Amino acid sequence: MELPKRTKRTKRSPIARRQARTAYVFLAPALVFFAIFFYYPIADILNTSMLTGQRTDEFAGFDNYTNAFEDPQARNAFTVTLQFAVATTVGAIVLGMGLAVLINQKLRGSLAFKLALLVPYLTSIAVVGLMWRNILDPELGILNRILSDLGLPTQEWLNTHPVATIVAVTLWMTTGYTMILFLAGLQGIPDVYYEAAKVDGANGWQRFRRITVPLLTPTTLFVSVMAVITGLQAFGQAYIITRGGPGEASDLFVFHVFELAFRARNFGYASALSVLLLLVIVAFTLVQLRIGRDREVQH
Amino acid sequence: MTARTYKTIAYVLLTVASLITVVPLLYTVSLSLQTEKEMLSAESVLWPETPQWGNYSTLFEEAPFGSFILNSLVVAGAIALSHLIFDPLVGYVFAKFDFPFKNTLFVAILATLMIPLFVRMIPLYVMMSDLGWLDSYQGLIVPFLMDGFGIFLMRQFIQPIPDDLIHAARVDGANEFTIYWRIILPQCKPALAVLGLFTFVFQWNEFLWPLVVTTSERMRTIPVGLTQFSQEQFQLWHLTAAGSVIMFVPTALLLIFSQRYFVRGIALTGLK
Amino acid sequence: MSARPAINGQWMTRRRMLGVAGGAAAALPLAACGSGAPEAESGGGGGGGTFLAYWNNAHEYEAYKDVVAQFEKDHGVTVELQKFQWEDLRTKLVSDFQSGNVPDVVEEPGSWVQEFALSKDALSLQKYLDKDGAKIGFPDDWLEVAVSDNTHEGQVYGIQMHYTCTLLFYNRKMLDDAGIEPPATWDDFLDAARGLTSGDVNGTVLNDGLSYSYPWMLQNGVHEYDADSGELLQPRAAAMEAMQFQRDLVHEHKVSPKPTTSLDVTRAAKFFAAERTAMILTGPWDIPIIKQSNPDLDYGIAPALTGKRQSTIAGGTTLFIPAQAKRPDLSWDFIKRITALKTETAATEESSMLMPRKSWAKEPAVQENPDVKPFTEGLPYAEEFRTGIYTTGKAGELEDIYKTLYESMLIEGAGAEEAFAAYDDAAKNILKG
Repeated sequence: MELPKRTKRTKRSPIARRQARTAYVFLAPALVFFAIFFYYPIADILNTSMLTGQRTDEFAGFDNYTNAFEDPQARNAFTVTLQFAVATTVGAIVLGMGLAVLINQKLRGSLAFKLALLVPYLTSIAVVGLMWRNILDPELGILNRILSDLGLPTQEWLNTHPVATIVAVTLWMTTGYTMILFLAGLQGIPDVYYEAAKVDGANGWQRFRRITVPLLTPTTLFVSVMAVITGLQAFGQAYIITRGGPGEASDLFVFHVFELAFRARNFGYASALSVLLLLVIVAFTLVQLRIGRDREVQH
Repeated sequence: MTARTYKTIAYVLLTVASLITVVPLLYTVSLSLQTEKEMLSAESVLWPETPQWGNYSTLFEEAPFGSFILNSLVVAGAIALSHLIFDPLVGYVFAKFDFPFKNTLFVAILATLMIPLFVRMIPLYVMMSDLGWLDSYQGLIVPFLMDGFGIFLMRQFIQPIPDDLIHAARVDGANEFTIYWRIILPQCKPALAVLGLFTFVFQWNEFLWPLVVTTSERMRTIPVGLTQFSQEQFQLWHLTAAGSVIMFVPTALLLIFSQRYFVRGIALTGLK
Repeated sequence: MSARPAINGQWMTRRRMLGVAGGAAAALPLAACGSGAPEAESGGGGGGGTFLAYWNNAHEYEAYKDVVAQFEKDHGVTVELQKFQWEDLRTKLVSDFQSGNVPDVVEEPGSWVQEFALSKDALSLQKYLDKDGAKIGFPDDWLEVAVSDNTHEGQVYGIQMHYTCTLLFYNRKMLDDAGIEPPATWDDFLDAARGLTSGDVNGTVLNDGLSYSYPWMLQNGVHEYDADSGELLQPRAAAMEAMQFQRDLVHEHKVSPKPTTSLDVTRAAKFFAAERTAMILTGPWDIPIIKQSNPDLDYGIAPALTGKRQSTIAGGTTLFIPAQAKRPDLSWDFIKRITALKTETAATEESSMLMPRKSWAKEPAVQENPDVKPFTEGLPYAEEFRTGIYTTGKAGELEDIYKTLYESMLIEGAGAEEAFAAYDDAAKNILKG
């Protein structure tokens, strides 16, 4: 048993073998499920991405992929989506963390604030997208009605700043959820750290910088990974609120792909673009996890 | 800055933030109570002159709205229940077991989060058609029985539970399922509340799959059913808004019911 | 979980201009139909079972309900009218085609049937028409464009059900007060719009949506696609001039507010009903909004404008049978009944909807209706802007870049040179594949 070589072998000890067997028994339903409802369709997409034509009945090899790199519309959609994802991720972290720190003061009525801030997250982008469209319309929207009644200048943000507008609507919807995550992270930080810092004479901002932010790293990592995945796959914002316009100014990538698939019926090309997006998201996620791990180690 | 001024600032900022989240939603309530004439006016109406509560009953008169609600409850409820059964089990395996290909399998399950639903939709639809599950509850429910997010969440939650608890139970001769059922699951209640709520909310709001997989009005869910409150070129906002308000009620109730677990639930996930 | 985009499709398509003169109330559900039967398979052999029709939300007229009831009785089937907004219908139908699981009959918004004929997803109706054509008056009783728009390589694939166009709506009192006649040419229109713009009132409000730019193009002799040369937006100088003219109405002369990317295309009608604009260019679908919002408004409907020529955009819905439909004979019988003159006239009486039959235009119910009659005079010169573009197999992508062209000029105020250059670049990339 003391032989150094056994360390590797312990994995195959009877106990380990039994553990592995149990693991696979427990996993079996899930593996079957994912195989049928995820991996089979994904394999189908890979296959479709090599085809072309409205009935996807012509072989195209890698043409769909090479076209993607020369397609100005796809490139524009990717750039727009990157801006959108970065802005919503940074916004989610800054606003979520900020509100969580505020609400963590053991204020009276904090439950009411939590619920109020979380409410938009329970709705769907379909419902609130239409609602914001109605509110923000330059001519007929209620916001400009109120602004002009108050003698203030009116806005036409959907025309002038479409991406910023859908970023704001997204943050409006999701910030409560992010805040709850950060709040949970904050409650895991022991008070003794803050007390020690106070003894050392650190002011509020210094305590926030030196204790709160570093110790929230796991939460920040989780929030940013999920926000990037969600941001790069955002769809309803363009589909419901801006239709990708004006021009192509807010043409989110997944919306663009959806239009290619169902309006243009170019399933081959749409599948290839989806596969490329998948690769980009995986790459982003791995990089974030790596950065997150390094940060955690430092602290 | 004194603690007192700090608290005052916190109150002011939180009040402003809460108003920003809640007030726009009240506008939807206002729309749901407007007359068709107010809704079509070039001067947007902030609050209707006479609230039209009848808009709510109109929903039920002009469409089988009751069956839309029932379908949504059945579908979102069944899917949430399934997640509560399977996600913690799989999460537990990834958190506490050692086995070949563990990391590969985990990444493979996470990767399922990274592809939009509509991309998988056609192959899934063909599958449902072959199984004869179109326009049925099976077709609406089965493809969503588990997902990567729930498994990821549960794994994060179960990881910090001390291994000693599990070892002690094994020494006592408990079988593996008993350990999961008696030791692990009871520790997970808060996380299960979170998982149940979010799964329900997402399925409740889902649109694309129910649109495609149903072929009769009586199998439609609320989001799909709501689209029929429109004319060819314009939305009947007042009725759509009334439907949206009704749609919001169950999720709000669920939030209020589960909020006790809520913050704690996520706190304990550890997020590491 | 949060990675999954939740979406919905509660909007109005702006893509096609279609008749919607239907009652201003919510779509009337065919509540009684389709209840009971636990299985809603679209198949099921000749007699019995469910007959599945995809329909537009707004077109469920009483007149059709009667036809449906009789059809159910005669064939022993249950008709399920599954209602959609256009954009959702597209998603559903394309999924159906990819999977081979199709409905028995489809109402489409007028631009799809040729595309589906080309992709072999629509059934040729030629053999039915060879047999029944004379009996139902096809093609002689249909306006020519309503036939050619549904024809692919000499075969007819769809029967036009509704048929509409846009004309000039004007506020009588505002024009009389200003001493202005309803304009007939572009120059008249610009002068009138200038004369009528003051303070809170816009001379005109250009409707939201790229399809409202089509009449201007047609009036300048431009089509989106020239099948002979394979070129887009020709003659080019005229295309640029037409788009520039609209852009200038908004950005140069400021006689119209900017259009938006809105999904709800009620802006122009709302302004018109509120007497905040004197003239709009639209179709009968805006009449219910005007009537609902301002029942006493005194408006007139004038012919379409003349640029280099007089023209307007033709639009409307078509019925077709999917190629894989299991009971095409039954589907054909359904189409015949819905497009019968008697049914059309009854639908018009009920809803002021416009129809493609020449004999329909002579019916008293049509001639005596002041909201319908002007359109019977516009329909004969109405045209299709996107003729033949389906043959490229890229109609969807090309529409997308036309939308970008239109929005960059009308909303963002870009110049014609720059916007058309970007259009050409994108078109080159699309057509090379």
